[in-house]
Amino acid sequence: MVERQAVPVRKPRFAHVPDDGTKLKMLHFMKLVREIEDRIERKLYRQGRIVGGVYVGRGQEAISVGTAIHMEKDDVVAPSHRDMGVFLMRGITPRRIVAQYMGRRAGLTRGRDGNMHMGDMDYNVIAFVSHLGDNVPVAAGAALAFVQRGEKRVALCYNGEGATSRGDWHEGLNLASVHKLPVVYFINNNAYAYSTPMELQMAIPDVAIRASSYGIPGEIVDGNDIVAVYDSAKRAIDRARAGLGPSLVEYKTFRMTGHSAHDDAGYVPPELFEEWQRKDPILRFEKALVDEGVLTPTRIEEMQKECAAMIDDAVDWAEQQPFPAPEEVTRDVYYEGK
Amino acid sequence: MSEYTVFAPASLTLDRTGYLELYYFMVLNRKLEERLGILYRQNKVVGGLYSSLGQEGCSVGSAYALERGDFLAPMIRNLGAMLVRGVNPVDVMAQYCARAIGPTGGKDLNLHFGWIDRGIISPISMLAALVPVMAGIALEMKMKGKKNMAITYVGDGATSTTDFHEGMNFAAVQKVPLVVVVENNLWAYSTHVSRQANVADLVVRAEGYGCYGEIVDGNNVLAVLDATRRARARCVAGGGPVMIEAKTFRRKGHAEHDDAGYVPQEQRAEWEKKDPIDAYRRLLLARGLVTGEPEIAEIDAKITAILENAANVALAAPFPDPSTLMENVYG
Repeated sequence: MVERQAVPVRKPRFAHVPDDGTKLKMLHFMKLVREIEDRIERKLYRQGRIVGGVYVGRGQEAISVGTAIHMEKDDVVAPSHRDMGVFLMRGITPRRIVAQYMGRRAGLTRGRDGNMHMGDMDYNVIAFVSHLGDNVPVAAGAALAFVQRGEKRVALCYNGEGATSRGDWHEGLNLASVHKLPVVYFINNNAYAYSTPMELQMAIPDVAIRASSYGIPGEIVDGNDIVAVYDSAKRAIDRARAGLGPSLVEYKTFRMTGHSAHDDAGYVPPELFEEWQRKDPILRFEKALVDEGVLTPTRIEEMQKECAAMIDDAVDWAEQQPFPAPEEVTRDVYYEGK
Repeated sequence: MSEYTVFAPASLTLDRTGYLELYYFMVLNRKLEERLGILYRQNKVVGGLYSSLGQEGCSVGSAYALERGDFLAPMIRNLGAMLVRGVNPVDVMAQYCARAIGPTGGKDLNLHFGWIDRGIISPISMLAALVPVMAGIALEMKMKGKKNMAITYVGDGATSTTDFHEGMNFAAVQKVPLVVVVENNLWAYSTHVSRQANVADLVVRAEGYGCYGEIVDGNNVLAVLDATRRARARCVAGGGPVMIEAKTFRRKGHAEHDDAGYVPQEQRAEWEKKDPIDAYRRLLLARGLVTGEPEIAEIDAKITAILENAANVALAAPFPDPSTLMENVYG
């Protein structure tokens, strides 16, 4: 038998690799997302200190962080309810986010709406629309405005795989592709749309296949590998900014919780949780950074404490904020000027 | 200059009666619309008039593939499909002229009528709204183990709509026996298909739903019949829905009131040369399926006489009596 030469194992090569500073920044934000969501879902909600429901993106942190890191100041983003990283990376403080969850006047909706139903146009974050997929034509419209004004801005839009079955998603993607708009559509394919698994949602194995329906590039990426997310998002955003039109990037991930805090996800086979726990994007990135010598386990502990301290502060602050006064109820119903 | 020709696909089996029936229904479709055009100009038609000039092969070829128990939901350009399923020219004229003897008793217009006993679901104005409706009917067929299919039609424009997407996705996930014929006639009202979709062929969207798709020459009635028969066999056997993109052209405006001045003259001239009936007539003669020109003229004359009589019957009928206004509002 011919002796076969051993092929050296090579790491995947990416067009865009984050530098060490960027890697640390991304890890910080992933940990901050995990911390704020854990605090809200597993403590404050159970203590009855949250008004309304709680939706988190546990296990999906790499996607919102690894994509939003490429945003320029003037870019616009339309996140879904599992993209807490987008809010934090845009500069919206944990204090205001916790206040939002607690229904306080200091929250993004001034206590009018709960949880992730928030946005802030000062930070170019379009408020999330409950009906999933509705943000797709909204983001296309924002991108159309950029084209008409001759601006080099890009719109980013996030959805789950379930939303791709919706008409809004289809109409928005079609419009964006016909007009070659500077918008990127990210799919958090977390395998479950509430209790509906992927195979009951669509007859195809990958959402990215749908890109061909619109004549745009589609890509499948490991959504739990932030370095891969970083690279794919950069390429798609650069493409949009260069005027080459929209892209569809599918991030394969898993929803490590129920649909919301009230859902125990008993319909998800336990072995799937076990399998995906081993692919946890934060633990995985930490290990890689330690292996690369960028981080030490001690430093990771410190980062964890920093994030916890930020959220401690946010909770203390938010709890001291007043609820909206009843006489404010008609405010913000119609536009009243800046 | 080469003349446009149609041919019989190798997989097609059809006897002489079948060939002649296809011709009969295509000519009936065209002449009925021509007759309605005259009535429209005489102000006898109430409301709009929608023509399928140049697309007769799509309607007739696809509907001819149906079997007993199948369900069909036409759109506004599928008069031919309704005729194949047994709708009478008198019904069509009475409906267009809002007479009491029409299928909706003069309450609705043009092709907005169905015939459940013959498996025809009434068209819905909003294009592609029938896709989820027919997916539902196909789901019933699947659940009850019926060896039947549901078929509906959309234009190129309707593929951009919500209902098309949601209906196709549902049909594909549930693997229901549904055939969707996308009649790509290049224009959705005044919007050219290049401003409608960023793809050269709409059939690529079948892949996005995980279902089978196929492109056919929509002006070749035999190719449409063959493709629809194969689609039927596939989905009745449990293979899931099928999307057929029929490449064709809308030779008139969106409706009779639209002169389609936005359509380039040369495009219209190019497609006039590809007339589905002229090409099919040449095939019948070349293959000896008719004895000669006189036999064709005889069929044409018979159709003209049927339509003349139908117009007389329809126009002699009264308008609905005001006392019937509240009838059929609820089931």
